[in-house]
Amino acid sequence: MIKIPAKVLIVDDEKDFVEMFSLRLEGQGEKVSTAYSGKDALKVLETTIIDVVILDIRMPGMDGIDTLKQIKKLYPIVEVILLTGHGSTETAVEGMKLGAFDYLMKPADFKDIKVKLENARKRKDEQEERIRQAEARFLLRRSGDV
Amino acid sequence: MNKLYDNKLRLLIVDDEEGFRRTIAKRLAKRGLKPVQASGGEECLGILKKTPMDVVVLDVKMPGISGIDTLRLIKQEFAKTQVILLTGNVAVSDGIEGIKSGAFDYLTKPVEIDHLVNKIKQAFEMIRLEEEKQKELEYRAKLEKKMIDTERLVSLGTMSTGIAHEINNPLAIINESAGFMKQVISTLEMSMFSQKDALLMGIEKIEKGIKRARKITHQLLDHVKKPESQFSEVNLKALLYETLGLLKKELKDKNTTINWKIDKKKNVVWSDPYQIRQVLMNLLSNAVHALQKNGSITLSICEVNEDIILEIKDNGIGIPKENLSKIFDPFFTTKSFHEGTGLGLFVVHKILSNLNGKIDVASTVGKGTCFQVRLPKYDKSNG
Repeated sequence: MIKIPAKVLIVDDEKDFVEMFSLRLEGQGEKVSTAYSGKDALKVLETTIIDVVILDIRMPGMDGIDTLKQIKKLYPIVEVILLTGHGSTETAVEGMKLGAFDYLMKPADFKDIKVKLENARKRKDEQEERIRQAEARFLLRRSGDV
Repeated sequence: MNKLYDNKLRLLIVDDEEGFRRTIAKRLAKRGLKPVQASGGEECLGILKKTPMDVVVLDVKMPGISGIDTLRLIKQEFAKTQVILLTGNVAVSDGIEGIKSGAFDYLTKPVEIDHLVNKIKQAFEMIRLEEEKQKELEYRAKLEKKMIDTERLVSLGTMSTGIAHEINNPLAIINESAGFMKQVISTLEMSMFSQKDALLMGIEKIEKGIKRARKITHQLLDHVKKPESQFSEVNLKALLYETLGLLKKELKDKNTTINWKIDKKKNVVWSDPYQIRQVLMNLLSNAVHALQKNGSITLSICEVNEDIILEIKDNGIGIPKENLSKIFDPFFTTKSFHEGTGLGLFVVHKILSNLNGKIDVASTVGKGTCFQVRLPKYDKSNG
């Protein structure tokens, strides 16, 4: 089966982490964009189509939760996986209530990452498919009206 | 004199005038006191060395060591003993000097016997008061030490959580770097590289190291209160059963007997089931670890007023005395890393103090260990 690359955006203020993580994901055949802050992430989203955002919760300036809120407001279909170095899953759960797909605790197991990334992408694909179908039905009905 | 003092009050009379001393002793005896007698300072100190006394009635004017000197020696060596001085009618200054040197009081000769009895009684009362004060001081010191211990553990907890958190970030970088290198080495173009296996082994060692460090940091962060865990009715007996189920293999391997001593009440607390389970798991697995083959674990639950007390008792190897004060410290362990991180009891302590509970331990080497957990039936501050 030919793998369709997922379009991933990694957002973390830890540059070293972002660099290595993106190399690794690219090695796995994903298409990776990177951003080192919440603001940068929103800029990337303006110009690039992204399936899944992997977003660190703790960042200086605009933190992960604020970034998540913005992403969900502007791009509700884009899936977000939260990364946390924080032990308390409190914020992660809050994030999921705000629409994040799931969360990962740093340092995360790569297998976990892959599975969650896959599922997040799948959910986005399915959602898009449903939208397409709904649109098609809508168009059909409209053409029927004419 | 009331009966209470008859057997308890140890009294010594010291006077060089034998006639006077005997008369006083006799009259005191009539009032229920049985004084020991001494004819001088040296004899008095000799008696005190062998038999401790509560009250000494001491004549000031004596040949040999003077009364005042005797008094000072008594106060030096037997600080608890109270001394009543007997002074001559004109020598008030002796009495004052005596009080400065630590005498309880002084009486002038000739002595009114009821007056003397009263003074003796007061002096004895003073000893009892001081003993009580001493006991209270000791109790308070103990309490303070316990509070300091608890505070120390709490601040250690805060610090270790912070450190764990900070370490996770660089750990994630190492993890991704190692993972990436592994990925690269596993590609086709690297198959010709002669040292591929050695390199792969090196990377795997890094990954193993990361896993080990992660185990510690995650364990340290594990007990941070989880918002998704709600307070609910927790049946301790059921939870114990459940936890024992998770330890089934270990229990069977060691052929462990489980004894239950549970009162017929409901055995429920209003608390956080997730965290209580963590406590039970840590305590039970410690108990199993401490056991030799064919050992036993005794589980008891009882209600005392507003609390539920749970005891987990094993007849295993026990904890040496010098370790007892350290077992709740983070990273204190007598096991190798693979068997334990030294965080189990630390986490237990932290959870229980969050839940307004308490934990105590008693242990004898070779006989076993008993952990006592006390939880409020209804935790008002967290309900």
